Amino acid sequence: MTKQFDVIIIGGGATGAGVARDCSLRGIRALLLERSDIATGATGRNHGLLHSGARYAVTDRESAEECIKENMILRRIASHCVDETDGLFLSLPEDGLEFQSKFVEACRAAGIRADMIDPKEALRLEPSANPAMIGAVRVPDGSVDPFRLTMANIIDARAHGAEVLTYHEVSDFIREQNRIAGVVALDRKTGEKQEYRAQVVVNACGIWGHEIARKAGVTINMLPAKGSLLIFGHRVNNIVLNRCRKPADADILVPGDTISLIGTTSSKVPFDEVDNMYVTADEVDLLLREGMKLAPSLAHTRILRAYAGVRPLVASDDDPSGRSVSRGIVVLDHATRDGLEGFITITGGKLMTYRLMAEWTTDLVCRKLSLAARCTTAEEKLPGSREPESEVSRRLISVPVAQRESSIYRHGEMAEKLPNGDAARRSLVCECEEVSVGEVEYALKELDVNNLVDLRRRTRVGMGTCQGELCACRAAGVMAEAGKYCVRRAKEDLVQFLNERWKGMAPVAWGDTLRESEFTMWIYAGVCGLSNQKTE
Amino acid sequence: MKFDSVIVGGGLAGLVCGIRLARAGRRCAIVSSGQSALHFSSGSFDLLNALPDGTAVTNPAEAVAETIRQAPEHPYAKIGAERFAALADEAAALLSEAGVATEGTTARNHYRVTPMGELKATWLTLKGYVRSEDTATLPWRSVALFNAAGFLDFYTKFLADGFQRMGVACEVHTFNLPAIETIRKNPSEMRSANIARVFDREEHLEALTAILRRETGACEAVLLPAVLGIDRYDAVERLSEALGRPVAVVATLPPSVPGIQTQIRLRRCFQQAGGAYMLGDTAVRYEMQGDRIAALYTNNHGDIAFEANDYVLATGSYFSQGLVAAMDGVREPLFGLDVACAADRGAWYDRDLFAAQPFETFGVRTDDALHGLLEGRPVENLRVIGAGLAGFNPVKEGCGAGVSMLTALEAARRILEK
Amino acid sequence: MTEQSENNFEQCIKCTVCTVYCPAAAANPLYPGPKQAGPDGERLRLKRPEFYDEALKYCLNCKRCEVACPSNVRIGDIIQLARIKFSRKKPGLREFVLANTDLVGSLSTPLAPVVNATVAWKPVKLIMDKVMRIDHRRTFPKYAFGTFESWMRRQRAAQAAFPQQVSYFHGCYVNYNNPPLGRDFVKVMNALGYGVQLLGKEKCCGVALISNGLIGQAKRQAKVNIASIREAVIGRNMPVLGTSSTCVFTLRDEYQHLLGIDTSEVRDRIELATRYIYRLLSSGEASLRFRRDAPKLRVAYHTPCHMEKLGWSYYSIELLKMIPSVELTVLDSQCCGIAGTYGFKKENYETSQRIGEGLFRQIEASGCDLVATDCETCKWQIEMSTSKRVEHPLSILAAALE
Repeated sequence: MTKQFDVIIIGGGATGAGVARDCSLRGIRALLLERSDIATGATGRNHGLLHSGARYAVTDRESAEECIKENMILRRIASHCVDETDGLFLSLPEDGLEFQSKFVEACRAAGIRADMIDPKEALRLEPSANPAMIGAVRVPDGSVDPFRLTMANIIDARAHGAEVLTYHEVSDFIREQNRIAGVVALDRKTGEKQEYRAQVVVNACGIWGHEIARKAGVTINMLPAKGSLLIFGHRVNNIVLNRCRKPADADILVPGDTISLIGTTSSKVPFDEVDNMYVTADEVDLLLREGMKLAPSLAHTRILRAYAGVRPLVASDDDPSGRSVSRGIVVLDHATRDGLEGFITITGGKLMTYRLMAEWTTDLVCRKLSLAARCTTAEEKLPGSREPESEVSRRLISVPVAQRESSIYRHGEMAEKLPNGDAARRSLVCECEEVSVGEVEYALKELDVNNLVDLRRRTRVGMGTCQGELCACRAAGVMAEAGKYCVRRAKEDLVQFLNERWKGMAPVAWGDTLRESEFTMWIYAGVCGLSNQKTE
Repeated sequence: MKFDSVIVGGGLAGLVCGIRLARAGRRCAIVSSGQSALHFSSGSFDLLNALPDGTAVTNPAEAVAETIRQAPEHPYAKIGAERFAALADEAAALLSEAGVATEGTTARNHYRVTPMGELKATWLTLKGYVRSEDTATLPWRSVALFNAAGFLDFYTKFLADGFQRMGVACEVHTFNLPAIETIRKNPSEMRSANIARVFDREEHLEALTAILRRETGACEAVLLPAVLGIDRYDAVERLSEALGRPVAVVATLPPSVPGIQTQIRLRRCFQQAGGAYMLGDTAVRYEMQGDRIAALYTNNHGDIAFEANDYVLATGSYFSQGLVAAMDGVREPLFGLDVACAADRGAWYDRDLFAAQPFETFGVRTDDALHGLLEGRPVENLRVIGAGLAGFNPVKEGCGAGVSMLTALEAARRILEK
Repeated sequence: MTEQSENNFEQCIKCTVCTVYCPAAAANPLYPGPKQAGPDGERLRLKRPEFYDEALKYCLNCKRCEVACPSNVRIGDIIQLARIKFSRKKPGLREFVLANTDLVGSLSTPLAPVVNATVAWKPVKLIMDKVMRIDHRRTFPKYAFGTFESWMRRQRAAQAAFPQQVSYFHGCYVNYNNPPLGRDFVKVMNALGYGVQLLGKEKCCGVALISNGLIGQAKRQAKVNIASIREAVIGRNMPVLGTSSTCVFTLRDEYQHLLGIDTSEVRDRIELATRYIYRLLSSGEASLRFRRDAPKLRVAYHTPCHMEKLGWSYYSIELLKMIPSVELTVLDSQCCGIAGTYGFKKENYETSQRIGEGLFRQIEASGCDLVATDCETCKWQIEMSTSKRVEHPLSILAAALE
């Protein structure tokens, strides 16, 4: 049986989730299809930087202005996903101070507060900063958790009637003459195919949008740009550190939740690599070398892992060679561009501007549906950000401190939904990140979790120092007990999860990271006797 | 401080070597930088489960020759196929004399049951732990499997599934006691060792007996997680008598109660033989005279050196920092001994965590008499034993405990024969 | 192998070994345990100070987690530093009284018989229990009538006559409660040919101030002590010896690690008397003659927690082994539960006794005549909780000398 919607959104990144939410808030019946889990593409594989826009002020005024506006909006509507850390742009001796004045001027012109401060004061504010700096500018940068942000959009979209299906891959488009009338999606869990129809289909697939567009019969020139990052074991800095120079590789160190991360490198990669990217030793060396210039203590800090994301660079339509790329938001109405009705592509942009991208897309959807509904996503707070943390904390006073604060940090006022009444549910599954049995049960019940990796994105299970050594088996045990999957699947899931962790650890596996890996291997391959059936 | 032998590293290898030497009347000291990897023991000791090429081994005594042929740098090659079985039997006897009672023989591997319900080949299994002679059966056709309510490091569902695949009917129960409720109040500390301490007290073991009696149906055997006491060793036997049927335990995720108990008994055995066990101390510096080590200095003892005729390095691999991996290579941090290691970091790893990881085979190079090599020259009075040795993969070959104990005995033999 | 202070908590690979050896977590479910309170918690506290948990006060600071840790993580230090940095609980009158062993001692010794009788009197104990929450079941250490320092001042000339000299950090306990131990130390040193001198100015080492959150005062006292020690070590080239494992440990390590006081120039010259004596005897620089007529004495040695951390029980044990009349058993190293002032607090009394249970059982089962140990608070706890008398190894040694 075919299911009917007003709009189908393909892609469960921040943009897709944002479009689903915006549509739902405007009364449009939306379906979101994601071939894997939410936030698995570029959304979950960047700095998590809440840009002030300062980085772009000199080179790209338009992006800078968009950033600062969205920055202020996200602080308000997504407070539980945002850390208001501020940022420093450091001028190192090798950078000189020439760029600084141009930078401050450009920031101010774009409406970004930029205060020049004394290096001594900067060092007092952020003791990890390189004491060799010769200048510092303070800007309203911050950090934002992409998983929480995407999930909060999904939760709100659902609350307003949207349907969200993860592990649903679009295999075909339903084409009627010169219009897209819907899609055929493969349920990857059951292997079944299903038709979904809608007046409009939105392609919000990031770099994978290239292929989706091709399936729909139109061409978009996208270029995959790989960006690698390193995650450090703890929060080295509490203020975002940037280099005050023209944007370059590895010049941003962002504190995110319990960790800090440095990035990125930038290199073009072929399309056949985008689904499975490995960080190379050269990239690791570069990130570390440059990172130490921002914060010298990184030299003695444990590196938890390395990972890479793919930024979709879109070639301008008037330059099919792909040399001139746009970093701004690109909304393509394929009706006007290619004569294909009912199909929109939203791409370009950045995590920071996901909401604006969603707004523009939804505006276009509304026009196609002849609706006049106004966008309210800049005012309506996301679930989790609707009550002050201190209030929630007061109400959960009986929960042990670290567990309470962690759950509020992750879920905002939704932390009250976590079952925590009895001691058994307060038992910790993940000790590094304070994830309780109750939180895992909540995620299984409410947050659409299918496997351990999904669970990690919702709760941070396995994201801490031990990278799953202590918690992966406990989490798999809780999931199996909850009837989420059978024992055979649970074991496969464990092996997959640990290998996914290892993928990030191997590029940085020396020192304590190698000790941790050896220990993990002893426990799972040795004591537990697990093996990888796929490779055995 | 003057000793006949100083052993650096107080895990399985160091202790076995120390016990052997101390019992032969040598004055020994063990310096141990923290507790050892025994704390993550499975409850079994592996000797040789697979050849370096991956072929499964059923008879380690026979397979050792082929192992040496495939991996000429393997620590077993330093022992030699001829002496292998005798040393293995000696190791088993030493464990037993130290009060670590095991079952199993050198001529044929048996199988242990893992906390995840897998069957894994092994050599010796602690008495009272679930084991099987083959991969298809358990000694019983029906079992009752108990877990402490809310204990997250033991997986009844996984075990029951494993048992059912072997045609063993398995009913799953939980047990609870006020003393366990007390531990549970702490969100992180409901760990195997803390539960085990509960059962060190007689009244709690009796309360458990009553629960098991009440809850166990018509099954042939009763199985529990290995959390039945740290100080006591009689719990399985006592329960078995009280219930009138076999009772056996399965190891849990760390910390490992069987491992802790083994560590305690071996350490006690060493101390009773006159050895000095110095825990929480790290050897940091040494003096050489010619090709011999003359003195060893530690963090705690500062200017008072350890002086001995023989030194044994038993500091293990990366975990216990017997090997230290840096971005540009792997080193042995105390003496700076020669280490076998691939030069290119990219060649250290396999992308599948569960495949044979090349870094596991890195380690200290020795001559045939287990003397550590310093720039190619053997250090005359320094032997290297255990997990820090080069040339083997303890996880894939299933030979970690065997290499530790057999090289320990081999080094002790050579020291005593001098 | 490094103990680099920067990011030391990151060396933790979550192996859980520390949790096996924490006496507090095993006896008190309110304590989050060394892993959570230490390296795990540190990471969270670096994110936000709000993650600090006041339950860290249940840490005994026994450092057994550090001794057990295979990764050289200074777990105990991490926990104590977090308490110093983040705790918002202000120390009260009880903390002040318990921690100021110095002040209370100097007020009490002139009136020792009265004070001893009073605090042993039930109604007083109940009042202390109710008002100050100092547990009424505790036995208080008795005060001596006259301090060790006043005795030492009378020995000045005699001590100066020895060809070689050491200085002595006697600690509050020897000064106010047990001057005979100090006299035993002097007797042994004299027998070895060494005279004993007091430090220019000695204050309480401050271990109780640190554990009770009186950090400012602890730092002030530490500075006085280090100045005196520096004067002895650098000015007069004398080692500074102590008879209390806790005092010595505090001077050597806690000053640097917890109070941030630089002790690097003198640290190696501050040591336990038993270690110094062992070195003299084993190198043949000096010798002792023992009585031949002494009756057999069965001694069980208990390793105090801070002695375990120092790693120096070997020296005390070797000295005891040298005494012909002593038949020595070494008890398995376990915490006695007192942890200085910890066990005196009403809310900790039961935890404290539960922690000690295993040790008390061992002691009763050992069949010893007396227990030897290097720590005064262990002595109080063991004497209160078992049928055995407890002596310092040096007192046993002194009694065995010819």
